[in-house]
Amino acid sequence: MHKEQGAWQAQLRFFAPAIVFISLVSLYPFFSGIVYSLKDGSLLDSGSFVGLSNFAELLRMREFWYAFYFSIGFTLFSVLGSYAAGLFLAVLLNMNIPGRGVFRVALLVPWVVSSVVSMVGWRTMIGDQTGIVNTFVQAFGFEPILFLGSEKWAVFSVILVKIWRSFPFMMVSLLAALQAIGKDLYEAAAIDGAGKWRSFVSITLPQLKTVTLVSWILMSIWSFNDFDVLWLLTGGGPLDATQNLIIMSYKYAFVKSSTGIGSALGIVSLIVLMALALILMRVQRKGE
Amino acid sequence: MAEVRLAIRKRLNRGEFQMFKRGLAIVSAIVIALSVTACAGGGNNGNSKASAGQNGGQETGDRPVKAVEISFWDMVWGPPEYAEAAQKLVNRFNEEHPGIQVKYQSTPWDNWYQTFTTAIASGSPPDISTGAGYQAFQFTDNDAILPLDDVVEELKQAGKLDDFVPGSVEALQYNGHYVAFPWMIDIRVPWYRKDLFEQAGITQMPKTWDELRAALKQLSGDGKYGLVLPGNDVNLGIQALFSLMLNNGGGIFNEQKEVDLMNERNVEAARLISDVVKDGSVNPAMIGFNGDGGIKEFGAGRGAVYIHTPSLLDNFPDLSERIGILEPLEGPHGDKATLGWVNNIMIYKASNHQEEAKTFLKWWVENNKTLWTEGKQGGFPVKTSFTEDPYWQDNPNLKLIAEKYLPIMKTTGYKAPGGFPELNEIEGDGTTLTMIQKIMSGRPVEQSMTETRQKYEQIMSK
Repeated sequence: MHKEQGAWQAQLRFFAPAIVFISLVSLYPFFSGIVYSLKDGSLLDSGSFVGLSNFAELLRMREFWYAFYFSIGFTLFSVLGSYAAGLFLAVLLNMNIPGRGVFRVALLVPWVVSSVVSMVGWRTMIGDQTGIVNTFVQAFGFEPILFLGSEKWAVFSVILVKIWRSFPFMMVSLLAALQAIGKDLYEAAAIDGAGKWRSFVSITLPQLKTVTLVSWILMSIWSFNDFDVLWLLTGGGPLDATQNLIIMSYKYAFVKSSTGIGSALGIVSLIVLMALALILMRVQRKGE
Repeated sequence: MAEVRLAIRKRLNRGEFQMFKRGLAIVSAIVIALSVTACAGGGNNGNSKASAGQNGGQETGDRPVKAVEISFWDMVWGPPEYAEAAQKLVNRFNEEHPGIQVKYQSTPWDNWYQTFTTAIASGSPPDISTGAGYQAFQFTDNDAILPLDDVVEELKQAGKLDDFVPGSVEALQYNGHYVAFPWMIDIRVPWYRKDLFEQAGITQMPKTWDELRAALKQLSGDGKYGLVLPGNDVNLGIQALFSLMLNNGGGIFNEQKEVDLMNERNVEAARLISDVVKDGSVNPAMIGFNGDGGIKEFGAGRGAVYIHTPSLLDNFPDLSERIGILEPLEGPHGDKATLGWVNNIMIYKASNHQEEAKTFLKWWVENNKTLWTEGKQGGFPVKTSFTEDPYWQDNPNLKLIAEKYLPIMKTTGYKAPGGFPELNEIEGDGTTLTMIQKIMSGRPVEQSMTETRQKYEQIMSK
């Protein structure tokens, strides 16, 4: 017992520097953010304590509620869209098709290319009537679409671009899981008369449940917290149509110099994400 | 030490003790590495202070004093040649002043407000910088800016301020002190594509708003548009509207510094933009464009008129014959004016080398003509004697601006006297940009302006 205690204390002493470092880098900013959210400070002045009035003000702001619902919608469609695309491609790449290796690498490009580079490319393609996408649209006899100039189309465009950025992650995760499914399951199902679709629904999807939930949790967090796609493509516009809570937090903290509201938005985002993660983990545990 | 080791050894088994010794060795190595780094950094600080004066860093006694280094953040005031010309000028200063070495940093306009507020809040601003027109006022309120009363007095006594554009030095007074020193006048003028006007059959340049609106409509069609108006640019997007407001004898404020956005003249200016948009004279995709996107459209011949800086032409050297500046337009009530700023240099109180920074400031303002002649700087010098140079006299566009636009320049704070910090927020926090985007997307003008007026009042009441 004495030896075990001594060993534990020795280990703690070794871990102490790392614990201190992580506390400084993660915990200190986290608690600072909470403190800032309770004050009416700016970038140059920490301000005075105002309690929960920043949060109360947020709840009164139409801009906040729009950003909140947009964040939820953006996350939902991005996750579902990237999952559907990723699953489809993973199933294809799991088959013995020619050039499979090349495709597996090529389809990772949206994930690995820098955000700045890819968003510049997207802006060139869809930014105005002369972009390549509108060239095709007009070639089919339609009027050009203001993908980034119209509020509705801007929402559609950022979701599409987010799906494009995210599907490789889903694809790689699901492909790895697909390859772990034993072929004997499919053989047994075939013997029992199950067709391809039946096998997919009754064998493949259940076997993918764990990796599906994990990837949904991660992608939800990344989509909800998305900054680069939205900021680089539209800046949150036009007219704040593509402004999520993170962009709004950035604007309030660093553009309007209102760190209280900006931090309060960050705390709200954290609470939403924690709730989301808890719900998904509960669903996963129920499934087990 | 031996007793300590024995005590530790008694408490741990052999494996744990080996692990302990290894861990101790690693931690010791890290501590030694950090100590060496700290000593190396600290060793340079001891010699960094130098005596004040023009040649700070002169030898004192038998030991040479290391040169003082000051950091100068300079905004991007022109095309790429500007930064090169500015660096060359800094190099010249450094050669002439071996005791003061200036480190030049070109600072982009994107997120300029965040750049400076973050630097000041973290205690690491530059020693000296150029910046936005009202930046010095704002940071004075945060006690970050060094008053320059002594510099102004010195130059006044030497008769050097007689050469400055009248009122440009006084415009930088705030709360009874000179908080910055002028070096450049920035202004907005309406550039136009002569070739597009010719193709549209417009032979008489518009002189009034009605003529402008008609011309813009005539210029639009077949993928071309009359007016370039980047709706997603926090600078150029709003400056076109402000220019038109001032052109109409309006202004955001009254003489008592109260928000007066909804006055009739301002509403007329906003309605002009709304009407021009409804006429189809503005590319609807422009609501998502920044200033560079606008430059691209203007250069590609898809936009005919662009309210921009005096240096717009430098983006298209091959099109110099095809681009000109419209004469000042007369508003519906006979007024003529345009938007401008007295851009300035400021020194930060956090600087450890304030006297050296002042030396550099005085030299910079006296010797910076090459920022225009070589750097194609996009504004006008405060020193009127500079404009006698052929660079200005031989250029019809620059001559037009100097003769007809500079005298009618007004600032964003007009009709309130002087400058004040709130103008930074009004120009930079996105409120006005949202108003422009609402007008461009067809929302009712008065409603869009009313919402903006409320936000301006909140800014002024802080």
